[in-house]
Amino acid sequence: MTEDEKFFAWLDGELGPAESAEMEAKVAADPELERLAEQHRALGARLRVAFDPIASAAVPDHLAATLRAPAKVVDFAAARRARSMPSLPQWAAMAATLALGIFVGTMVPDRAAGPVEVQAGKLYAAASLNQALETQLASAPADSVRIGMTFRNGAGEICRSFTAQASSGLACHRNGRWQLKGLFAAPEGQGGSYRMAAGMDPSLAALVDSSMAGEAFDANQEKAARDKGWR
Amino acid sequence: MDQSSSFEGQLAELLPRLRRFAHALSHDSADADDLTQATIERALRSRDRWQEGTRLDSWSYRIMRNLWIDTARSRSRKIAREVPEEEGLSIGEDPRDAMDAAVDLKRVMAAMGRLPDDQREVVALILVEGFGYREVSEMLGLPIGTVSSRLVRGRTALLAMVGER
Repeated sequence: MTEDEKFFAWLDGELGPAESAEMEAKVAADPELERLAEQHRALGARLRVAFDPIASAAVPDHLAATLRAPAKVVDFAAARRARSMPSLPQWAAMAATLALGIFVGTMVPDRAAGPVEVQAGKLYAAASLNQALETQLASAPADSVRIGMTFRNGAGEICRSFTAQASSGLACHRNGRWQLKGLFAAPEGQGGSYRMAAGMDPSLAALVDSSMAGEAFDANQEKAARDKGWR
Repeated sequence: MDQSSSFEGQLAELLPRLRRFAHALSHDSADADDLTQATIERALRSRDRWQEGTRLDSWSYRIMRNLWIDTARSRSRKIAREVPEEEGLSIGEDPRDAMDAAVDLKRVMAAMGRLPDDQREVVALILVEGFGYREVSEMLGLPIGTVSSRLVRGRTALLAMVGER
């Protein structure tokens, strides 16, 4: 293994205890390596935030149906030919939204006070977004951030969906912070006028749907949860 | 009959993760779902070759990867060739400031699409799907050193492409 490979193997938790301790000491003593480690942890987090919503989304009917009716065998090429526009699965629209990506940078122009920060490979709300998630109720007039639904996820954490200019997303409260579970750009051309009221972004809706345990909070529950610090 | 329903049941449980892998392999979402469909069908046809007690996820991922290589080889080569050389070399600027202010998943997903196939599959399996080096080495039939070196090249190229803006 080259030193490079060893460094990344350490980052991925692939080294044995002795080698791992050795690499850890080496990285701790070298700011360049430390910086590289942080960059690559952040890259891993970005990859997961980019692709995880696909695994959280509802599986299109035609795929699930294949497993219910295994007799029907279609090859890859035939499936492509058979794809008809009218029945284009909801996923296509969702992927288009996803593929447009996330432009958190456009939410707050000030780079120093961005609405998202990376720590230990996870994405957290910061600045105006954090402020809104902490204090703002869904009934509040839309400021730069608008809060959508509040609910508990399967892990018992309180999660809130939000819309901020051309993006919308979901954050869950954990250890006193709002961790981003997904973030989606509005479809092209809807950026300025994009509002929760116009319908939730389909990929966000899928993420909310797969995260929610029980019912969404009503206004009283939402306010009570805020008063208790979202625990 | 019980056995077959459980095989299908297990495949159904894997479906969301298989779709995620398909979307990491193919930047085109319609192609990714076709690839998922083809993988399920191949898995159902080849179920006799799956050994009970071994991991169905690794087995299914391998089927998907082989189908992808079979159907997309020529196109992927073309895409890989189109990556401008400078893009792979422009390491240096500290991207963390930009990270704080702007997470651009479009760039991340598009950059995955510009990696060569052999690096993309390893990056997807380890960094997105969470497999270990050894699992991927067995899944792809590659020496672990090859997995490790492709992963280094892939993630380094990826960071160079998306790290700055």
